Order: sequence, then structure tokens, then C-alpha cells
Amino acid sequence: MRTFSSLLLAVVLATLPPAHALWPQPRNLRTGSDKLKLSDDFKIHLEAHVPQDMLDAISRTEDFLKKDHLQRLIVGRGSSDTNALTNAKSLSELDLYLESGADANSITTEAQKPIESRDEAYTLNVPNDGSPANITASSTLGLLRGLTTFTQLWYEVDGTIYAADVPIYTHDSPAYPYRGFMLDTARNFFPVSDIKRTLDAMSLVKMNQFHWHVVDSQSFPLQIPEFMDLSIKGAYSSSSVYTPDDVKDIVAYAGARGIDVLVEIDTPGHTSVISKAYPGHIACPEATPWDIFANEPPAGQLRLASNETTNFAANLLAAVARMFPSTIFSTGGDELNANCYDQDPDTQKSLNETGRTLEQALDVFIKTTHKAIEDLGKTPVVWEEMVLKHNVTLNPNTTVLVWEKSENAKTVAQKGYKLIHAASDFFYLDCGAGSWLGASPDSPNWCDPFKTWQHSYTFNPTANLTDDEAKLVLGGQHLLWTEQSGPSNLDSIVWPRAASSAELFWSGPGGNVSHALERLHDLSFRLQQRGVKSIPLQPLWCALRPGVCDAVPHTS
Amino acid sequence: MGGYLFSVFVLFAWVPHIYGLWPIPRSLETGSVALKLANSFRITANVPHPPSDLSDAISRTVGHLRTDKFERLVVGRGSADSETIQHARELKSLTLALAPGSPVRSISDEAILPIESRSEEYTLHIPSDGSAASIEANSTLGLLRGLTTFEQLWYFFDGQVYTLEAPVSITDSPAYPYRGLMLDTSRNFFPVTDIKRTLDAMSLAKMSQFHWHATDSQSFPLVIPGFTEVAAKGAYSSLMSYSSKDIQDIVSYAGARGIDVLVEIDTPGHTAAITESHPEHIACSHASPWSQVAGEPPAGQLRFASSATANFTANLLTAAAKLFPSKFFSTGGDEVNTECYANDSQTQSILQSTGQTFEQALSGFMQTTQGALEKAGKTPVVWEEMVLEHNVTLSNETVVMVWISSQHAAAVAAKNFRIVHGPSDFFYLDCGAGEWLGNDVSGNSWCDPFKSWQKSYTFDPLANITPEQSHLVLGGQQLLWTEQSDPSNLDSIVWPRAASSAEVFWTGATLPDGSPRNVKSALARLHDFRFRLIQRGVSAIALQPLWCALRPGLCDGDS
Repeated sequence: MRTFSSLLLAVVLATLPPAHALWPQPRNLRTGSDKLKLSDDFKIHLEAHVPQDMLDAISRTEDFLKKDHLQRLIVGRGSSDTNALTNAKSLSELDLYLESGADANSITTEAQKPIESRDEAYTLNVPNDGSPANITASSTLGLLRGLTTFTQLWYEVDGTIYAADVPIYTHDSPAYPYRGFMLDTARNFFPVSDIKRTLDAMSLVKMNQFHWHVVDSQSFPLQIPEFMDLSIKGAYSSSSVYTPDDVKDIVAYAGARGIDVLVEIDTPGHTSVISKAYPGHIACPEATPWDIFANEPPAGQLRLASNETTNFAANLLAAVARMFPSTIFSTGGDELNANCYDQDPDTQKSLNETGRTLEQALDVFIKTTHKAIEDLGKTPVVWEEMVLKHNVTLNPNTTVLVWEKSENAKTVAQKGYKLIHAASDFFYLDCGAGSWLGASPDSPNWCDPFKTWQHSYTFNPTANLTDDEAKLVLGGQHLLWTEQSGPSNLDSIVWPRAASSAELFWSGPGGNVSHALERLHDLSFRLQQRGVKSIPLQPLWCALRPGVCDAVPHTS
Repeated sequence: MGGYLFSVFVLFAWVPHIYGLWPIPRSLETGSVALKLANSFRITANVPHPPSDLSDAISRTVGHLRTDKFERLVVGRGSADSETIQHARELKSLTLALAPGSPVRSISDEAILPIESRSEEYTLHIPSDGSAASIEANSTLGLLRGLTTFEQLWYFFDGQVYTLEAPVSITDSPAYPYRGLMLDTSRNFFPVTDIKRTLDAMSLAKMSQFHWHATDSQSFPLVIPGFTEVAAKGAYSSLMSYSSKDIQDIVSYAGARGIDVLVEIDTPGHTAAITESHPEHIACSHASPWSQVAGEPPAGQLRFASSATANFTANLLTAAAKLFPSKFFSTGGDEVNTECYANDSQTQSILQSTGQTFEQALSGFMQTTQGALEKAGKTPVVWEEMVLEHNVTLSNETVVMVWISSQHAAAVAAKNFRIVHGPSDFFYLDCGAGEWLGNDVSGNSWCDPFKSWQKSYTFDPLANITPEQSHLVLGGQQLLWTEQSDPSNLDSIVWPRAASSAEVFWTGATLPDGSPRNVKSALARLHDFRFRLIQRGVSAIALQPLWCALRPGLCDGDS
């Protein structure tokens, strides 16, 4: 009997077309198996007095519905749906409701709130009888997330736009508040248009944090009005810069899409390029052989023991912090090289004069620079070394990016810091493409192998953590370090892989890669329809036949 | 002259380097005098009745010289050269000439000659005093190669197109005649425009052979006259197929760029897509679980023991061969799965009734299909299994592609077949991107790791090959199998990596100065090649941060 009922259940499930398209998978979802057409006069309605970026989100949604032109990923690409569509009802209205008493703030304002106070929950209801669909939320940010889910429901065949799984009901909210993507724009430069396209793709998977590693030792593309020489002398060229207007443009574009911009000025290491404009502040600039002064060329770090340099860094960070509305700001702090300072006469002189050790001097540097941004209302974000390798005083609110290896999250949590998962062994998109250093015939890449979407997808955010420690996990992100990337391969190295962490941290861990694959195909194809060069995960033959190309094939 | 060069060196404290040339010519002398292109610069061909594709090649070169707008990869980019350019002499013309007695044929005709009789050698001279430059060759194909080298010498700054390396004297010819790239258009489809852009990039690296793995088990995009139903039912969609017109377009585009198109219809394995139109010819079609009867899903192979199937295949291949003017035609022959046939009752009953073994039937199939191709004037090309794993009779002319392991080349040579190197352990561009099969959490690609350009660049074509066998090595190629690729990442997964084998097989083992070719000195030139591809609309990827690309040697692992 037991066997019989589970067999019966399997048969019933097999006949129900799953909601292939949704990524990330909503946390509570009920779908039917009816088809519903989108009426030619379909409109989205919202009460008056709504912020401009909400109106823009509505028109973008209406646009996507008409322009995605995505055919279903089944054999025949939806041609078998045409008969069912002749009798299907049409949807002509989607109503958006802000819950009573909710603030009609802009999406941007909601997205830029402190991480834990962002409200992204929404309820979406699409009836199968053609009566109006609705999205309810207690913030405009929640409405945006609902609209994003709504756009993923629709396919097109022969000019008819339709959903295949109605009625649909979901009450959805993210498992973790931080779902991000990091881009390094210093090793190689990316024009604003590339960043905007990336933000569009992020928004489609409900990511909410763009971590912008904007400068590093190789170049300084950020134009800071108070420190113009940094980009004039340190950017790759006068056109490879982000002007204050570009920054505003990117921040506004991100905000309207529910994304906060966490900028990072990596200090005191990773700052060689500052020597072009301010040689007095940099120890061991471009010193050779680089490998005894730095993890990669060129060498050069801020003279952290110097008062003048510390004040310079504090002023620089404050100036940058004023350009970004986010409540979080990263001061970096990774890969500090002690030998660089050991061999720097200026630093040794400062240490001798003050009687400090390098660690004590670092503590003063961190306190001073962090105070500068905290005075502006920002919470500092640092790479893990600042709590795992150094003995510096940090504000207990400091958020720590775990990068060297995922198991370091445990130690960070034990020290009581909030953390973001960004581990190289799961989330580094650059791994596995060979060594980028010259004169190295066949060296592996340091973080080999390539991190597949499957590998990232099966990450456990609370592995080894106690319940209390687990509460410190804000979420996580994929990261692209760009020694071997530029606009040529930005889309193809990032998408659809980065979407795996977006679902992990929205829907929660424990997802099944076999079921995820067909939805991830759908996302990848929709991204392509929107001009993002997301790569295929399989031959199209497999994408049209879920499960048939599994490593352990389904037996029929 | 030597004293003059030395004083230039002392005065300006820069050492001229030839960074632009890829593949680097086999004999090369350069100076350190700057020369700029005159506004009136023109290229003339002292060739009676120049073929139209030579005239087109000249126009393309003139176009590239104006539109590349590529600033030199040094700190400050072109601005570093601005003073030098101002005082430089102007080059007003380049003259092309064929050696006396050379036949005047189109580039396309030269490019598709039997591989050993192609003539790609050329000489290039650019005097430093502004007098006319010249390219001489024994064929229009050689002239094209010379034009390609010429294009790579020039940089752009502030409206001026200039070189810093005059005088230039080059005598060049390829070490190996086969320098290819293979593209699989069956796992995922690529529009004609993507293929043409790839041919442009190949031509810039003087590659001579486009190996088009046109069909496979997943889809059959090739529309073959007389067999149009195969693509009609086996292509992913009618838009995802190559018409006869598309094929002609690709073949002539390639030919004009000095590239021969070797098409492959993989048989008898890798043919599941034929089942959509001809189920009677396919054994174990879409059988499940696939892993017992195929290397990858979907399963399905031609019933080679059936004489009807053998004749169908021979006719299909003959019809396909007519679409391609190349002397080469590949019938594939990799990964034939015996289990598929062991489970196929029709195959078993044929074997029983004819009294043939599996291998005897396969040999009969090969003789029928190869025989048909030879009748059509083609030289058969096969994957290595046909000589290493099976006991089939092949023509001595057959060219064998080594793919499973670079170690297998010696065994192929021992059987006295000509070889094209395409080993997965050096030249597979798809390796290292993870398992593409579903439901495999920890899987990596079967041919891990990623094959870096450095790895491919250090390939030795003559490893374990005796001097007596070395004439059997025709060259080699990098290959893109497209389970995880489509137009989204074609350029980024292929370029600039595929250029590494182009230099291995053009330049040979040594640099023009006689020293061994090496990754340390190649990197700066490969950067240059990559940036020029970017200028031409090919999305070749960055090998290093730009900081490193502008400072050769400073980001070396051993610095």
C-alpha cells in the first residue's frame, strides 16, 4: 500500500509541469498545470503616490514580458502548447499592493537600508481564470522581488505570451539578507555598461549586494574629487575611470534594481598604484622580485606605521565613503605582507620612534581608518585576515568576508563577528583557468579546480556552526577577480554560475542539483534573451530533455 | 649600420622588440628606425590579372591598417612614441610580386591544394628610408601570409599608423602545413557569422585548416542535397542549420583567407541525430541508461553491419563531399560502442547470417564509405581509434587524428599513417570547466585540467617520433567540443589560446635567432595578438592584468 501510494504520487508529480522558470526558487510555492495567456492590453496597476523607481520597475517588467521572447525548453519549444492555448484564459491585469501602514519609500531607499532591516518579502497570486493577478508586500523592494518572479513565469510561442503553471501562489522571502556578487575593476577595467548589464542579471536572480572591489595595486580607476591625482596617475588611461557621475549612475541603477553597492578600498595592502600619485605613502612600490614583497605583482602597501599615511588613508576612505550611500564600506585588509615593511626604512624608523610593533601600528591604522568611516555612519567590512591573522581592535559590528577557505567561517563566528561567505574553495569564479603569471609553462591556478555551479550550489552556509554562530551568517557571494578577465569574458565567466549562490542564499541550502539544472537552463536562456552572454551548461539536446543527460541516467 | 643602430639604442634608451608578430617568422631581421604610413599608402600587386580574392585581401589589409587603431602595449601606450613618430619617414607603398614562373591562381585555389603541395612561404622587406616595401612569394597564398605579417607590424597613435622596427627583412614559411582549429557545431549551434569571425581570427594567426565537426548525436545541422530530411528532422531547428548557400559562403570566406575547410561527418558512432529521419539505420537509438551504450547522451550509432546502412552512409558522405572543395574529408570513427551493437538484435542477426565478426563488418563498412569518398577524389581523415583500436583496412593515404592522448602519436606513426596532432591532454579547449552531465555534484570535466596556452605552447610535435617518421606529422590543431559552449563564449574560450598551436606548427621548435621557442618570451607577443583581435571585434580574453601586459617580464612567475 505504501509502495502503491508513493508510486501514484510519482505519477501525479510527473504529469505536473514544474515551475521550470523560477530562479531562485520561492520558499513557498504552489503551482497548477493550466495555461494562461498574457492579454495584449495587459497592464500593471499600483496605487498613486508611488516613487519613480517603482514606476520604472513596472515599465521594465511590462517590457520584459513583451521582449523576452523565450520559448519553453521542451522538445518542440512550446509548439505542443498551441492547442491548449486556444482555450486558455487571458490575464489582463496585475495589481500591486503595499500593505497598509507600509512606507512608500523608493526601492533604492529600501535596498540601501542596513542589511538586516531590508524587507524583501512578497506574496504573488496568479489565478487560472483570467482574473487579476496580484503582488502584495510591505515594501517597494518586496514588490520588485515579486515583479521579478512574475517575469520568470512567461514564455512565448507563435507570438503568444503565456504561463504554463497556473494557478500560482507564493509567499516568498529570502533565507539570508546578503546575496552578492563581487567584481574587481582594478586588474582589468570594465566600462559602466558592463557593470549595468551585470546589475540587470543580478537583479533577475534577486541578488541584493554589488561588492565593488574598485581599486587595487594594478590600477586606480575611481575618480575621487579630493584625490584626483590617484586616478589621473593610477588609472590605466583617462578613459578607464569611474567619474563621480559614473558612480552616481551605477549606484542609482543598482538601487532601482534592489541592489546596494558595497564599495571596497582595499587597505593597507593592495595599494601599489597609490605610489604613482603619493610615493611617500607607499612602502616597497613595484619592488622586485615581487614574490618576496607581495602575493602578486606589483608590490606596494600603505606605510601603515606612518601618522601622515594613516591620516591620508582615513581621509581617502572618508572621501570615498561620502560617494556611496550604502551603510557598509569595505576597507579590505587582505594579504598584508610583513616583509615589505621589514625592508622599508621609513616604516622601521616610524616603528622605532613610536616603540610599536608592526601589529600595534596596524591596530592604530585600523582604528583610525575605521573611525573615519564610522563617523560617517558606515559599518566596516573587512577580509578575514583582520580577525584571523592580526590582533587589531575592531568594532564588534564589523562584518567579515571569509575568503581563504570556507572552514574559516567557524573561527570568525567563534570570535562573534557577522560574516559573509565568499570562500575561494566554493565561490571564486576565476579559479581553474591556468596560471596568469608569465614564464610559467604549465603551472596550475592557485585555487584550482574550476568551481562548478554544482559545487557552489551545494555549499552549506552553517557547516560546523552552532545555532548561535549560524545567526552571524549574513549570506554570501560569488566573486570575480579579473587577472584573466575583462569585458570579453565577463558574462561568460560569471553567468549562469553566479546564480547558484543567489538561489542558495535566497531559497536556503539543501537544493537538489538535478532539479536545479532545468531551472538554471531556463535562467541561462532568459539571460541570453536579455543580452547577457550566459553560457550553456549542456548541449541544447539535453536542455530540452530534463534528466536525460544526468550522469546517472533516469531509467524509464 | 650596426654602429648607427647602437647609437640609437644609447640615445633613446629603448630596445626595439618585435612584439606584434604571431606566429613569429622563421627568419627575421629588424632594425629600430621608425616609419609611418603615408596617407597615400597603397598596395599594388605586380601580378598579371590578379585574382579577385587577392585584390580583396589587399583591400582588407589596407582596411585593417586604418581601422585596427591599436596602440602599442607599453606604459603610456602610443603617447610614448609620439615624438619618434613626428620625425619618422613615410612609407608610401607596398608591392606584391610572384616569383618568376609562379602560376597565378586564386588564394582559395591555393589554400585547398593537397596539403603537401601548398605554398605559403614569402619574403617581406621594409626599407627604413621610406622606399617601397615588398612581398614576394611563389603563390598568392604566400602573398596573403606576407600581408598578414605586414599588418601585425603597425601601431596607431594620434591619427598616425607607424612601426618602430624598420628596416624589416623576413623570410618565412611554415614548419608544418596543417595548422588548424576544430569546431563542433552539433552539441550547440553556431550561426555563420560566428564561424566567419573565427575564420578571421584564424587567418590572422596564419592557420590553414578549419576542421568542421559539423554533425553529431545531438543535432545534424548540415543540409545535404539529396538527404535534406536528415537536417530537417535532426537539426535543433530550421534556423539552426547550414544550407548549401551557408556552406558555400563559409568555404569561400575561408578560402579567401587561406583556410581549407575539412568537414567531418562522424560515423559510425556519434550519429543518434540520424534516427530522427532514418530510424532504420540507427542501433540503440536514445537507449537508456546511455552510459552503457555511448560515451555521452544520446546513444545511437549507424548499423554498420547492414549493407543498406553502409550504402546509405556512403551516399550521404558522397553527397556531403560535393559541398566541400577540400581534398580532405573526415569520416570520424571515434568512440564506437560495442555494447550498443551487442544489444541490437538486427546487428546480431546480420552478423550471424553473414558469418562476420564485429571487426570484419566494421572493416567492410569502412571500405564502402572510404571507397566512396576516394572515388569522389577525397583523402579520408579518421580519428585514432580506426587504426589503434580496430582492425580495419584503410587506404595508406588516410590521415589520422590523434586525440585520446599525445602518447598515441608514436603508435600511429609506427603504422605509417600521416598524423594530425589534436591530443586532449594538450589541445582540448573545453577541458576544466566542470562536469556538464546533470546530477553530478563533485564531477569535473573528463579531461581536467584546463589546457592553458602555456601548456599547448610547449607541445612537441616530434616527441617519440623517429626522424624517419617525422615526415608523417602534418601538423596539429586545438579543438572546441561544445557541450558547454555556444556563441556566448566561443571567442572567450578559443582566443587567444588557440593561437598557441598556430605558432607551434608554423614557427617550429626555434625562434628566428635559433634559441628554443619559450613561453617566457612568447607572452608579450601573445598579448599583442590578443589586443589586436579585440580591435577586430573578436572577444579574446585577457591573459593578465593590463598592468602586466604593458610591462613585459614584470609579472613573470620567476621574476
